[in-house]
Amino acid sequence: MSMVLNARRLDDVVILDLSGRITMGEGTLILRERIQKLLGAGDRKFLLNLADVDYIDSSGLGELVSSFTTVRNQGGLLKLLSLTKRVQDLLQITKLLTVFEVFNNEAEALKTMK
Amino acid sequence: MTFKEPRSFELTIPSRLEEMQAVHELVGKAVKEYKLSDELAHWIELTISESMINAIQHGNQADPAKEATLRISSNGDSIEIIVEDQGCGFKLDKVADPTDIANLLKPSGRGILIIRSFMDEVDLTQREGGGCRLRMVKKIRGAPQ
Repeated sequence: MSMVLNARRLDDVVILDLSGRITMGEGTLILRERIQKLLGAGDRKFLLNLADVDYIDSSGLGELVSSFTTVRNQGGLLKLLSLTKRVQDLLQITKLLTVFEVFNNEAEALKTMK
Repeated sequence: MTFKEPRSFELTIPSRLEEMQAVHELVGKAVKEYKLSDELAHWIELTISESMINAIQHGNQADPAKEATLRISSNGDSIEIIVEDQGCGFKLDKVADPTDIANLLKPSGRGILIIRSFMDEVDLTQREGGGCRLRMVKKIRGAPQ
């Protein structure tokens, strides 16, 4: 299953609900293009909900990092929500847990983005 | 594509990322044959995918005239995976550490770390006549299910 991305908005935070596989090619492109479009429209606060992401490869991790730096360089915030154990393990192995702020609860995450 | 039933699988593809679908399909057949847990199957698929993408992109420089070969076999206690390319784009001990603070925000360079983290044995050798051979072994008997 390739990646599916749905966006919803709570105040000034865009929550991106991702599901499926974030892998080299289509999956990473979908995420990159959506974030660039939202940045272009003036959005600066992003919460990536990865609860339904069951597979991510090194390119997918790289895209998360690129998204994070792109948003941060424009003065914005990008945080992660609801990692599956597999994604959490990969972020641990690659030490990306030291880069991203990760939350298990959407309301808690939103509180930190006001 | 050539199958060596019942305990080994082999696939040779031109160096195009579009060919990765065939890799995922072959891995699916192998993990079913070896009756791996979902968890083991997931990590085996991920490490094979990372190693084949490395072979295509870094080894063979995405030249479709060059081939990448995957072999998967099992003796019941472990799974051996061999990935061969015709280029050899890197040395294991020369790969930059992606967890180094200087590399942490780089968008690439994590594939080998993922492979090494999951596999029990990883070694890279030069093939006679050119190219590289990446051999990986994962113990499956007694592994967490």
